[in-house]
Amino acid sequence: MSIELNTNDGQVTITDEVITTIAGGAAVECYGIVGMASKSQIRDGIAEILRKENFSKGVIVRQVDNRLHIDMYIIVSYGTKISEVAHNVQSQVKYMLSKSLGLEVDSVNIYIQGVRVAKD
Amino acid sequence: MTTDMLNGKMFTQMVQSGAHHLKNNAKKIDALNVFPVPDGDTGTNMNLSMTSGADEVKKLNSDHVADVASAFAQGLLMGARGNSGVILSQLFRGFARGMNQKASLSAKDLANAFDSGVATAYKAVMKPVEGTILTVAKDAAETAVVESETESDVIVLMEKVVQVAKTSLQRTPDLLPVLKEVGVVDSGGQGLVTIYEGFLAALKGEEVPLQDAEDIDMEEMVNAEHHKIAQDFMDTSAIKYGYCTEFMVRFETDKLKENPFDEEQFRNELSKHGDSLLVVSDDDLVKVHVHAEYPGEVLTLGQYYGSLMNIKIENMRDQHTAIVGDQEQKEKSTEKAEYAIVTVAMGSGVKEMFASLGATVVIEGGQTMNPSTQDIAEAIDASNAVNVLILPNNKNIVMAAEQAAEMAKVNAEVVPTKTIPQGISALLAFHPDAAIGENRASMEGAAKEVKSGQVTYAVRDTQIDTMTIKKGHFMGIADGTIKASNEDKLETTQSLLNEMITEDDEILTILQGEDASDDDVKVIEKYVADNYEDVEIEVHKGNQPIYSFILSVE
Repeated sequence: MSIELNTNDGQVTITDEVITTIAGGAAVECYGIVGMASKSQIRDGIAEILRKENFSKGVIVRQVDNRLHIDMYIIVSYGTKISEVAHNVQSQVKYMLSKSLGLEVDSVNIYIQGVRVAKD
Repeated sequence: MTTDMLNGKMFTQMVQSGAHHLKNNAKKIDALNVFPVPDGDTGTNMNLSMTSGADEVKKLNSDHVADVASAFAQGLLMGARGNSGVILSQLFRGFARGMNQKASLSAKDLANAFDSGVATAYKAVMKPVEGTILTVAKDAAETAVVESETESDVIVLMEKVVQVAKTSLQRTPDLLPVLKEVGVVDSGGQGLVTIYEGFLAALKGEEVPLQDAEDIDMEEMVNAEHHKIAQDFMDTSAIKYGYCTEFMVRFETDKLKENPFDEEQFRNELSKHGDSLLVVSDDDLVKVHVHAEYPGEVLTLGQYYGSLMNIKIENMRDQHTAIVGDQEQKEKSTEKAEYAIVTVAMGSGVKEMFASLGATVVIEGGQTMNPSTQDIAEAIDASNAVNVLILPNNKNIVMAAEQAAEMAKVNAEVVPTKTIPQGISALLAFHPDAAIGENRASMEGAAKEVKSGQVTYAVRDTQIDTMTIKKGHFMGIADGTIKASNEDKLETTQSLLNEMITEDDEILTILQGEDASDDDVKVIEKYVADNYEDVEIEVHKGNQPIYSFILSVE
């Protein structure tokens, strides 16, 4: 699945891979995020933190009736206000996608798949 | 006054003072907010978080410093808003924990608490971005730890902390390019500095000054506002308020008697006339920056309180048009490109293919029509680049290309491709970031990976090795050696493919020549599909003369 943009000079096709990479990159820069997690934890190991090249497992792009929805599976740091961290991820992902691709996302749904307790 | 120990009461006052100072400056901090999302809410978010922390401290009313700090951290956590609020809560969560339940703190304990706060804050982020509140906190804590070795006065230590935090804040634009671009310091970092300043003021027993316009440059805030505006409007006609208006009012006692100055009220009044509003005032002056459609009305409002100074009004629509124009100009400018690729090809389709793969100049030519050294040299000049790579795509042109490269005034190198498929493979291996030598080597390597085949007709009778070729018959040539000859074009092509394709091959690319019909291509495709099921076929219309088919096998 991919996004098609029509311009005066022709067509631009943006694959989901591009969207997941940008969304994942924006998310991991957010404060309070420890990493991206896999959507299917049972198959891919329990709450395993995904490396950069596997972001796509934790970022799902859905297109419903021409509207764009993104589901993100993340792991947050213990001791942060989780709702706020999630909110920051939502606004940052929306901002980055709009800034770099000009894409308006309808919803960014955050699934907290784990909390990591840092060793003190 | 010297203070060796910091107790809970004092820390309570520090928190209140920090919160108060932050609240006073929240609007200015909002104006600086361009990272990570320029939504201008950092000051507001930090203020709400800080207020929640300060309220918890007030409720506790204890003299036990670690308890006060824990209550503060708890309040910050519950009230954390926005990225900066969450970071702030982490900084003070670690700070509270670093106190080890002590009832009062020495300078050394305080430094360790700051340090512990930074450690906790950094742990909660996967990719810490330097040039933010994190950096400011880290630099300040590091200094605190070093200073506390020799300094036992808490006030002096806190003075150091504030001083270093300020210096670190000034460095944030060097660490984070977006800040530099806009010409502002980091908003979260500014928030932290403001809190620390509030702490210090309380320690010294000072009242927190209500307005502190010096610390944040109006210029910085104006830059940030303009940056936000510039991002919002792609189209000049979308600008609602057309004039960027800046002025100062020097208060006059007579006028103030009639119209007492109230900053909040003044701001509200101005906001009806435009946006991107910034108002900073002290006892003598008020500075105003606003984007308004009718600047005259705004100036009149200012004149109620005194005389106008330093008036600057700019037409933003003109500026915007100029900026947009500038960008278009830049795109068209004839600056030298880093790289250009000059190649030789025949046939409209083949030329187009090279161009679409990134060749800068495609010279018409090939078998029976070799371009001269002069032709290639001219193409090098026309490509206007610092580095030029030449793909001759024919063994008869390699020499001419090498001569042209030697003559060229720029860095020019030849990748000695002998066939069209080699040229295409080489072009695909080109990497714009690599040095010219590296590129030449990797492109040459790529050219060797591909097997090239050509189907053409004989112009006279010949005997080569054991093969007898009659005039008008077709020949199948694989990498320079004639492998098949037959009077039928398709049979020749099929025998040539049998010679070329091995078990390891995966892709066959066919360039359809001028004299090859679509039906011819279909026959070949079917033949390959039937005999080599693992091979994928790609067909392009090359429209090249002389060669019915150019084949490439990888």
